[in-house]
Amino acid sequence: MRRVLCALSAGLALGLAGQALAADSPENLVKYRQSVMKAIGGHTGAIAAVVKGEVSYGAHVANHARGIRDMSLIVPDIFPANSGPMDYADTGALPKIWEEPAKFKLAVSAFQSAAAKFADIAEGGDSQAIADGLGALGKTCGGCHKPFRQKKE
Amino acid sequence: MRLLVPVCAVLLVSGASLAGTAAAEPDAVARGKYVLRAAGCVACHTDEKGGGTVLAGGRALETPFGTFYTPNITPDPGAGLGGWTEADFLQALSQGRDPQGRPYYPAFPYTSYRGMTEQDMRDLWAYLQSVPPADRANKPHELGFPYGLRFLATVWQWLYFEPAPFRPNPDRSDVWNRGAYLVRHLGHCAECHSPRGRLGALDGGRELAGNPEGPDGKKVPNITPHAKDGIGGWSKTDIAFFLKTGFLPDGDVAGGAMEDVIRESTSRLSDEDRAAIAAYVQSLSPVPGP
Ligand code: HEC
Ligand code: HEC
Ligand code: HEC
Repeated sequence: MRRVLCALSAGLALGLAGQALAADSPENLVKYRQSVMKAIGGHTGAIAAVVKGEVSYGAHVANHARGIRDMSLIVPDIFPANSGPMDYADTGALPKIWEEPAKFKLAVSAFQSAAAKFADIAEGGDSQAIADGLGALGKTCGGCHKPFRQKKE
Repeated sequence: MRLLVPVCAVLLVSGASLAGTAAAEPDAVARGKYVLRAAGCVACHTDEKGGGTVLAGGRALETPFGTFYTPNITPDPGAGLGGWTEADFLQALSQGRDPQGRPYYPAFPYTSYRGMTEQDMRDLWAYLQSVPPADRANKPHELGFPYGLRFLATVWQWLYFEPAPFRPNPDRSDVWNRGAYLVRHLGHCAECHSPRGRLGALDGGRELAGNPEGPDGKKVPNITPHAKDGIGGWSKTDIAFFLKTGFLPDGDVAGGAMEDVIRESTSRLSDEDRAAIAAYVQSLSPVPGP
């Protein structure tokens, strides 16, 4: 019974989100998605500066890693159907995202598990493990960017 | 007596190299695997999209001249390089010619590989001989008229190609020379990052200054140290870190054809080799564009 209820409410939630998004303009949806990606890139850029030894904020890595993990949870929401290049041209998102949804979903979930794993590693504080973990996380960013994104000029 | 020593040395050396080719010594295979990574052979010779076997070919390369399908380079006797000798292989890489002497199309970047040292080519051959054979048959290229006429590749070679081994520059450091070798020859960075002229020949004066029409018709960035158009704002560490992880200094992550290059090639090199690449790239003159 609980399960059925859960499934129902999840379905409702999705439906509602869908409605809300359909009302939002493609331009705003794309800009919002880009803000989320920039936020993720802000965190990885900051972690990279620590890993490269440019700044000695080693203790911040765990905060950034939690930020990325949190953002990874909303990534599935930021690609609604009305936010593709046909709806608003100034986007780096490729049509393949909506043409091959199963493949795209795999890229999202690979990123989510890597982000969760990296947050745990960062909590541990071992700098070698963090450097390696960042590499593994980066592979899942690249694993989505390569097939599904064309960098804007 | 004095004469005997050099003769013995020659005998010993030739004995050793014979053993090397007969049953590839394990060191050569290991070194060859590293050369294979540095040279990025896997990305082109594997049909990753179609789930193909590594090095069994079949990847489609879209170019303005048509679609090339990479050949199988596993040691399969029918479908791959099983019938080849080491000399055939050296000729393919350094001269761009098949065992019958016919020219290859420059979609196979022998234009860069021609500078490979003989040692690296032999090690690479030892490694290729050691991988499991795959019997995937080669697919003919689909080229627009008149590019499908292979003799045109001969004309192209007359116009634009000369075998030229790498010559270290004695005025530069060992690190710089290693970097130059990795960038210009093994890593063939220019094949994507340099603009091309009308018949697909690289524009030598604009080395690594970006290519408005790179692989799959996509733009490839300028990586000379130009402040605005290139990567003048990047430190050596930024470049080396990017080649290892794919992270740009602003936290973004490379996609496109570079994702392959990082995953299959530069992330698997030693830190010293990445530092050498960074040193060489930073020493180029800044060029605006593309
Ligand atoms: C599931 C796919 C996916 C994953 C995973 C992903 N990205 Fe993205 N990213 C995109 C797409 C698509 C765009 C283009 C968005 C647009 O322009 O609408 C993008 C754009 C960006 C941008 C540019 C934003 C802008 O417009 O300025 C940055 C920075 C970025 N991503 C960083 C990252 C980092 C860092 C990671 C991993 C930690 C990552 N991304 C993981 C799909 C993904
Ligand atoms: C940019 C893509 C690309 C890369 C990288 C590349 N090749 Fe190739 N290679 C090709 C293409 C395309 C051909 C077919 C050329 C032709 O038909 O004229 C080819 C042909 C060959 C051949 C001839 C095979 C035959 O059956 O005649 C050999 C051998 C070969 N490549 C080995 C290598 C090795 C070793 C490396 C790495 C050092 C490498 N290739 C890297 C694209 C590539
Ligand atoms: C197969 C084509 C290809 C080859 C070979 C290649 N690159 Fe790239 N490179 C690209 C593409 C495409 C991009 C843009 C990636 C993107 O859109 O995210 C890029 C991006 C880069 C960047 C980031 C530049 C910027 O401003 O964002 C650097 C640095 C770089 N490459 C260095 C190299 C080096 C060094 C080599 C040789 C070891 C190399 N590349 C070989 C295609 C290639």
